[in-house]
Amino acid sequence: MAIKEKPVVTFARWGNYTIAFKGLFEQLGMKVILPPKTNPSIVSEGAKIAPELFCFPMKVTLGGYLAVIKQGVNTILSMQNVGGSCRQKYYGLIQEKVLKDGGYEVKFVDFRATPRDIYRMIKENSDASDKQIAAAFYVFFEKLFLIEKIEKIAQKLRPREIKKGGTEKIVREGLAAIEKTANLKDLLKAKKEILSLLNKVEIDKNKEVFKVGMMGEIYTVTDPSINFDLEAKLGLDGIEIHRQMNVSYHMKKLLFPWIDWAIQRRINHYLKSTVGGHGRDAISEMLDFVKEDFDGVIQILPFGCMPEVTVRPILEKIRQENNIPFLSLSLDEQVAEAGINTRLEAFADVVKNYHFKKQKNLKRQENLKPLNEKII
Amino acid sequence: MKCYLGIDVGSISTNFVLINEAGEVVYSLYIRTEGNPIKAVQAGLTMLKQSLKEKKIEVEVAGVGATGSARYLVGAITGADLMKNEITAHARGASHFVPGLRTILEIGGQDSKIIILEDGASVDFAMNLICSAGTGAFLDAQANRLKIPIEQFGPLALKSKKPTQLGARCTVFCESDMIHKQQIGHKTEDIIAGLCHGLVRNFLSSVAKGKNIKSKIVFQGGVSENPGIKKAFEDALQEEVIIPPYNTVMGAVGSALLVRDNPPEHTRFLGFDITERDIRCTAFNCGGCPNNCEVIEARIDNKIAARWGDRCGKWSSQKPEI
Repeated sequence: MAIKEKPVVTFARWGNYTIAFKGLFEQLGMKVILPPKTNPSIVSEGAKIAPELFCFPMKVTLGGYLAVIKQGVNTILSMQNVGGSCRQKYYGLIQEKVLKDGGYEVKFVDFRATPRDIYRMIKENSDASDKQIAAAFYVFFEKLFLIEKIEKIAQKLRPREIKKGGTEKIVREGLAAIEKTANLKDLLKAKKEILSLLNKVEIDKNKEVFKVGMMGEIYTVTDPSINFDLEAKLGLDGIEIHRQMNVSYHMKKLLFPWIDWAIQRRINHYLKSTVGGHGRDAISEMLDFVKEDFDGVIQILPFGCMPEVTVRPILEKIRQENNIPFLSLSLDEQVAEAGINTRLEAFADVVKNYHFKKQKNLKRQENLKPLNEKII
Repeated sequence: MKCYLGIDVGSISTNFVLINEAGEVVYSLYIRTEGNPIKAVQAGLTMLKQSLKEKKIEVEVAGVGATGSARYLVGAITGADLMKNEITAHARGASHFVPGLRTILEIGGQDSKIIILEDGASVDFAMNLICSAGTGAFLDAQANRLKIPIEQFGPLALKSKKPTQLGARCTVFCESDMIHKQQIGHKTEDIIAGLCHGLVRNFLSSVAKGKNIKSKIVFQGGVSENPGIKKAFEDALQEEVIIPPYNTVMGAVGSALLVRDNPPEHTRFLGFDITERDIRCTAFNCGGCPNNCEVIEARIDNKIAARWGDRCGKWSSQKPEI
């Protein structure tokens, strides 16, 4: 009888949220080795063995797995997506096959994102009791919501801070501190510290900031190491980024399916069926941004993302109807940071032009009002 | 005379423009980058200095603007006051010469872009992202292959009465298509005209797709020197296409104008002497975190002038030694 190996697990990185998942699996008694932060060499390693026409996140995650398999990882956890179907559902199948063809012996645990499947997966791979699982999940959610909160605060602070780069430093150090916490007590202590530090960041309250909405495919939108730190770059340029996409949005859609129905009703005018992934969400979010009078919208998608490519013409149409600045960035292993920077800088200029023009028109209307009243 | 200097360093050409306070161009220069932006900038500044000396013009540089893909490098070694992306610079330059313009078509050495303007401000733009089919570099290569000087490319294309149909989506296939058409006896001028039409078709269906092209339309960049392409654009759009003055150095004009609009109190310009100094640019990998950013370092006389390329600011926030 073969001796059961103790699993050493890894899973795909997912932006700043990775550390919350790491804490969860560690608390469940698994040994976790995280893939290193995504960098160009990981991307190119993954792209080398991945099928060429598959979408970008699959290549990135594959590169990450390759890096840690060498360090002794024997189990890979891969969760299928929530929401509309897209090729992400086949990541597990294909990556397992690609790794096998490459001569790597790993166990691939591919599970669906339903509470039942997740529970089964945990029971199979760890010895944790139900009580321990509940406690681990409690800490996990605390961590996750804290990270999302920090991200939201940072989006507001960056354009307004007086000492440029101060927020970024607190965020970076704060995330590192959260990663180290192993129990609820430490986490709550860290939470208090980070939030008070962020509270103390000096800001220029009267500064005119420009609001830009960001939507698209969730992996590229939320992971700063994939989208070239777009949020921070635009933030330091005086632009306040808004985005709805994060893990809790993703989870909400899992628990409350009627969110999707509501979205469908809103976008019926543009699209009558699902196109998979977050295609419908992108349209609905863009409509939100337009309604809330934003100064610009950015769509980020991985090259080859079928749902986002399908809705792009619709987003272009909304842009034309409302004249709002719109930038669509498609990312893959061929894209160079210099090219993205040029586009982002130019887009920031367009956003500012649009903002000031809007204001000028507003003033003109205000000036006209009393005149009209006199005539009446 | 108080002047503003604009420098545009692109993949193929390096341009210098000196404007006075009224926005008139005092001096303009177009040279080839030839893969070495530092040398090109030094050579250009030397020529600028000499020409000013010959014309006996006393110039006080009150501000320097850098643009183009090498703007950070140029900004570091010349001490530029403003580093702006080429899209904003091109829009600013063109709207200076053609008031009320709505569309800019720009085709340069390796990139092509379209900019939509309203009231002199850019409202939308697009750049070629993954393919540079149909830019100056390709025309250069074809002119070389056909043994026709690139300057005669356009006039020759205008002679054609029946342009050859060429598939111009991909330059490699386009070239094999051209060879095939040559073999079955198409005239050279027809092939060249076909190339111009194919290039324009490709530009309009990829870069300019979905953009609202309205007149006045301006065509600039190195390729706008080619009247064959201009005519192909006019045929395809059924609108008049204007080629503004200083069409090949518009990025530099724009960046000079942008500096003039927001002049710095004291310019950081390091002077024309940098042409005689030893400028080196190296890159190293930081290694401080898994991201392993490539940090670029510019040194003047072995003193660090600037560092950039890092994400966290560990290197770029350090104070330069000069």
